[in-house]
Amino acid sequence: MRRADIKDEPATYERLVYKNTSVYHYMRISLVLENENTRLSAAQLKQLIVSGLRDLYGEVGSAFPFDLLKFDARALTGVLRVYNSGLVKLWSALTLLGSYQNERCSFRVTQVSPFLLTLSGNSRELELELD
Amino acid sequence: MAVFMDLNITYTTDKKRLRSVIETAAHLGYSTVAINYVVDLQQKKQEIGKPKCVLELFDTFPIVQGKSRPIKVLNRLTVVASDPSHFRPNAEYKAYDLVAVYPKTEKLFHAACMTFDVDIICVAVTEKQPFFFKRSPVNGAIERGVFFEISYTPAIRDSTMRRYTIANAISLTETCKGKNLIVTSGAERPLELRGPYDIANLGLLFGLSEEDGKAAISTNCRAVHLHGETRKTALGIVHTMKKDQPLTERQEEEHVPASKRAKLETVDS
Repeated sequence: MRRADIKDEPATYERLVYKNTSVYHYMRISLVLENENTRLSAAQLKQLIVSGLRDLYGEVGSAFPFDLLKFDARALTGVLRVYNSGLVKLWSALTLLGSYQNERCSFRVTQVSPFLLTLSGNSRELELELD
Repeated sequence: MAVFMDLNITYTTDKKRLRSVIETAAHLGYSTVAINYVVDLQQKKQEIGKPKCVLELFDTFPIVQGKSRPIKVLNRLTVVASDPSHFRPNAEYKAYDLVAVYPKTEKLFHAACMTFDVDIICVAVTEKQPFFFKRSPVNGAIERGVFFEISYTPAIRDSTMRRYTIANAISLTETCKGKNLIVTSGAERPLELRGPYDIANLGLLFGLSEEDGKAAISTNCRAVHLHGETRKTALGIVHTMKKDQPLTERQEEEHVPASKRAKLETVDS
């Protein structure tokens, strides 16, 4: 579909190549539980993710390193670090995780980036001040 | 960029729950959702009723995250067909924005792909596919602009269902090569919904490429929606959009800020 008012001009591209690509991807995640009063520690969260990975990929498929860098137990949000090769596996395991101790739960992946600095802010949560 | 859609939110009579599912969908960034009414004609005394008016659900529709526009809610009918007599297009179907069919046998699958006037063909995700996807009906469906649907909620609920979902999805993508596929939730509860980018990533598990995975929740869903509209009207639909008046030369000059104009002149001289 082409809009009439957009002229046919050759598009200009700029090719950006990262010379030193990061070996890691970072993900900001938050866990939503059915019962809001349930508390869990960082170790329990990691345990939950590992069990989700094992359910989906088995012992061999789930044996790749990833770390929970930061965890806020009150808001149930955290930052994960994973090697690029494990990103798809980890992400899909998080997507298909549906219960924690017989209670429904859901992981919301808010941000994924190869740069940790990106996770310092979220443009979707910015509020514009209009006067 | 195409907007994200989730064309399968299971209808429940519990209005509060339905409302919270749609609110969650808006928060996750879905711009359009469809409420799915399932009719299984094998069970007796099943009737295709009129869908509930979506305006009854909300006074003001929730705002989609990152779009500052309210969410769009459609009605969708899914006919579970195990006998050719089950699918009879009649006036009741016209009340729905989308019509889907869930064929139980190979014969019906063939008929659904080649002749049925539907928008979506559902693929089994809660049981092992009882038949093999043949290339000719699948290609026929692709040519007619009918889409195949895989829903992911059963995969979240149960690990056996997960195996069936992934196995059936892979056997379908082998045949259709990732084309004409949509991924939907089929959620009954807010916690069964997942974000659009999570689903695009999940598409990689189903044997889709990254591009096809994203198309499965955005552009393909848009095509389904438009296909549904063509079924409602006579033959086709025309989209119009407002065109800006081209600027006259004088106006253009005025549009250039003073600082720039001065620069141009110095370059010229």
